Amino acid sequence: MPVVDIAPSILEQRSRRDARHERLFRWLLKGCALIVLAALLGAAGATLWGGRDAFATFGWHFLVSSEWDPGNDVYGALVPVYGTIVTSLIALLIAVPISFGIALYLSEVAPAWLRTPVASAIELLAGIPSIIYGMWGLFIFAPFFADHIKPWLTSNLGNKPDDGKLSWVAQHVPFVGKLFGSDYPFGASILVAGIVLAIMVIPFISSVMREVFQTVPTRLKESAYALGSSTWEVSWDIVLPYTRSAVIGGIFLGLGRALGETMAVTFVLGNAMHLSASLLDPGTSIASTIANQFSEASGLQKSALMALAFLLFVVTFIVLLIARLMLRRLASKEGR
Amino acid sequence: MNSPYLRRRITNALAMLLSTLATLVGLAFLAWILWETLRRGISALDLKLFTKITAYGEDGGLANAMVGSLIINFIGIAIATPIGVLAGTWLAEYANRTKLGESIRFLNDILLSAPSIVMGLFVYTIIVLPSTALTHGSTSFSGFAGGVALALIALPVIVRTTDEMLRLVPSTLREAALSLGVPQWKLTLQILIRAARSGIITGVLLALARISGETAPLLFTAFGNNYMAINPIEKMSSLPQIIYQYANDPGDAMHALAWAGAFVITMFVLLLSLGSRLILSRTKVSHD
Amino acid sequence: MTDSAIATNPTPVVAAAAVSPKLTVRDLHFYYNGFHALKGIDMDIPEKQVTAIIGPSGCGKSTLLRIFNRIYAIYPKLEAKGSIELDGENILDPGYSMNRLRSKVGMVFQKPVPFPMTIFENVAYGIRHHEKLSKADMENRVEQALRSSALWDEVKDKLKQNALGLSGGQQQRLCIARAIALKPEVLLLDEPTSALDPIATGRIEQLVEELKSQFTIVIVTHNMQQAARVSDLTAFMYLGEMIEFDQTEKIFTKPSKKQTEDYITGRFG
Repeated sequence: MPVVDIAPSILEQRSRRDARHERLFRWLLKGCALIVLAALLGAAGATLWGGRDAFATFGWHFLVSSEWDPGNDVYGALVPVYGTIVTSLIALLIAVPISFGIALYLSEVAPAWLRTPVASAIELLAGIPSIIYGMWGLFIFAPFFADHIKPWLTSNLGNKPDDGKLSWVAQHVPFVGKLFGSDYPFGASILVAGIVLAIMVIPFISSVMREVFQTVPTRLKESAYALGSSTWEVSWDIVLPYTRSAVIGGIFLGLGRALGETMAVTFVLGNAMHLSASLLDPGTSIASTIANQFSEASGLQKSALMALAFLLFVVTFIVLLIARLMLRRLASKEGR
Repeated sequence: MNSPYLRRRITNALAMLLSTLATLVGLAFLAWILWETLRRGISALDLKLFTKITAYGEDGGLANAMVGSLIINFIGIAIATPIGVLAGTWLAEYANRTKLGESIRFLNDILLSAPSIVMGLFVYTIIVLPSTALTHGSTSFSGFAGGVALALIALPVIVRTTDEMLRLVPSTLREAALSLGVPQWKLTLQILIRAARSGIITGVLLALARISGETAPLLFTAFGNNYMAINPIEKMSSLPQIIYQYANDPGDAMHALAWAGAFVITMFVLLLSLGSRLILSRTKVSHD
Repeated sequence: MTDSAIATNPTPVVAAAAVSPKLTVRDLHFYYNGFHALKGIDMDIPEKQVTAIIGPSGCGKSTLLRIFNRIYAIYPKLEAKGSIELDGENILDPGYSMNRLRSKVGMVFQKPVPFPMTIFENVAYGIRHHEKLSKADMENRVEQALRSSALWDEVKDKLKQNALGLSGGQQQRLCIARAIALKPEVLLLDEPTSALDPIATGRIEQLVEELKSQFTIVIVTHNMQQAARVSDLTAFMYLGEMIEFDQTEKIFTKPSKKQTEDYITGRFG
């Protein structure tokens, strides 16, 4: 076969054309990637811009005032901020131990054939749209809670029992009585919102935990088993310390989700713009305040809602930042 | 004396029992939520859901909301897919291990869990408000704005799966193509993306599943419309938005309609995630 | 040249090739992340012969091969110093066009890597980038390449099927077809049979025999018998240095270096 060299000038032309296309392609790709950055910066910028009037009018007072009075055009963020934080904390309080149990079950306890189907089922929970959680919470769980759980809580722990007799706990343990006292007859409350949020974030936290538990080197676990450790001891003494930063990362990821969740909590929070110590009273969160009021708001109220959105965005950003940093720490340990 | 030994065994048994219980609790809530959605949704199913529009209220259906959802989701996916695939490709092929690449990959993971209602307000600010100025004051909510808001939520899902899937493509494939003198952009578009195709499609399906249940970002963008709207520059209804509206209505008939909508969305989302799982498992088999 | 290279190589190990050299390697050094992987390689690779490079894993034989078409350049922090002349032009010169180099030097890798497309497209893909051919010419060209790689009879009825459906040995011959379809002058084979069974290996070795009338072939292998079977010249490398480079027969019967003899007889590596 005769070997023919292609004329160098054609080759050169083609090389130049290739280089030009390559540069264009690179810029196109980079531009698309920068849109991710633009979305984050834009969301922060747009809400800060929209909230500038509220920030300018109320200053730092906006953060600490519990007043939200559209009639007098006075707005403070404390009630929704409180509701957001407390519902999310309740969610974590419930979700973390359950998620840990699920992750432990799926990585150490369950028989091998059961692991994949159960894990898929739990992940299915993450796929259910949040509005379905909200409906379930509003129509099924909140009434169930009002009928079966709330009376027990108020009469055994609260300071405003239905039968008028103060429980032992309310008399002897400080704060608890206030947390569980309520005159309000419905289920929708901070506690119910926290529970619904917990169910929502369980699949996120447990799947992160399960994933990182599986990264623990088998030889590490085997050498502990060889010393006679039980499954629980291996999990608690070897697996958990080894994966600690990622487990915390997973928890923060769940927290980030819970803080920003709108629909699931809007249905079950009761939409009450006042501060109450009781977890059984209705409240509001940042996201649900925005969802409920933004369409009808104008002027300073709209600006205050934008300012709330900015606060929410910044706080979730920080929480998620911590989550990702913690998760990355384990990944880099693995990489080495 | 075997008491410490016994105590350790009891602790262990208790821990195993609790972890099993925790799993059962998780599964029980899943079953409870799905069961109620199926039960109430199916009993509210009716042909008029698909033929009548929401303007008739109790006697109406959800036709305009379903059409609106399809249009808005389509716009969202149509915007997010090309941008997401190209951005993910940049992360995997061009910026892997560069500082900017790592930062964007990191920020993308944050965008993945960012509060969707804030994304809605962002789009309200950059699209609804300016178009209001253009139309001299009448507030310009639109299906298109809703689609953009959903695109922002779908984007990080697609970026991430594309990035991950491309990084799974063996580097020998790159070397083989480059050793033929093929330039990198051709290699990327014609070989690598094709090799990772099924994984990328899975990502798009997952993104679709994610956005099709989103409500919050639509409230201030697509807004809602009791009549059938096809043109994306008009206000547009969507299933999640109608569910939200009807669930807050005191009437039982409205609640039934809301459950029917919830059923439709849940089925759609579950089928999507099932489908994407199937695609993924099939590709794993064919790669070995 | 480094001190150690001088110590072990008092005379440059350039085989006295009867034919004119196609590739001339002079004082080639290679570094990755600061690690000195190749230490002053000198080598004359003759035209239209098979040159085998052997040595224990990590000796730099694959590294050397990957410099011949500069495929290493797609990774950051890798650096080659020295010169490799192809027909008298230094391919390490940044001015030497990548398009030109890769149309002249083809490569086949350890594992078969068919592109995710049809068998026909796999072969046609590379050609399309370099030449504009009519449909008939392209079909002709693909057939020619598949015939040269002894694959035509097995695939002629399923050219439109996905190449991933072929067996491992067939896939590897497809990769050879893909490389020779560009009509290169040099063909680099990087352990082309390490992922194949003995029968498929036999077919590839036979193919190498047939192809050498058209191409200058450089093959890296960890299998000494394979080097003895297919090559005319053999280079033995160890720890980034060229220990000995000579006629294959001489290397395997009376090597002049102690290290070569030790490796050939299986005392290390």
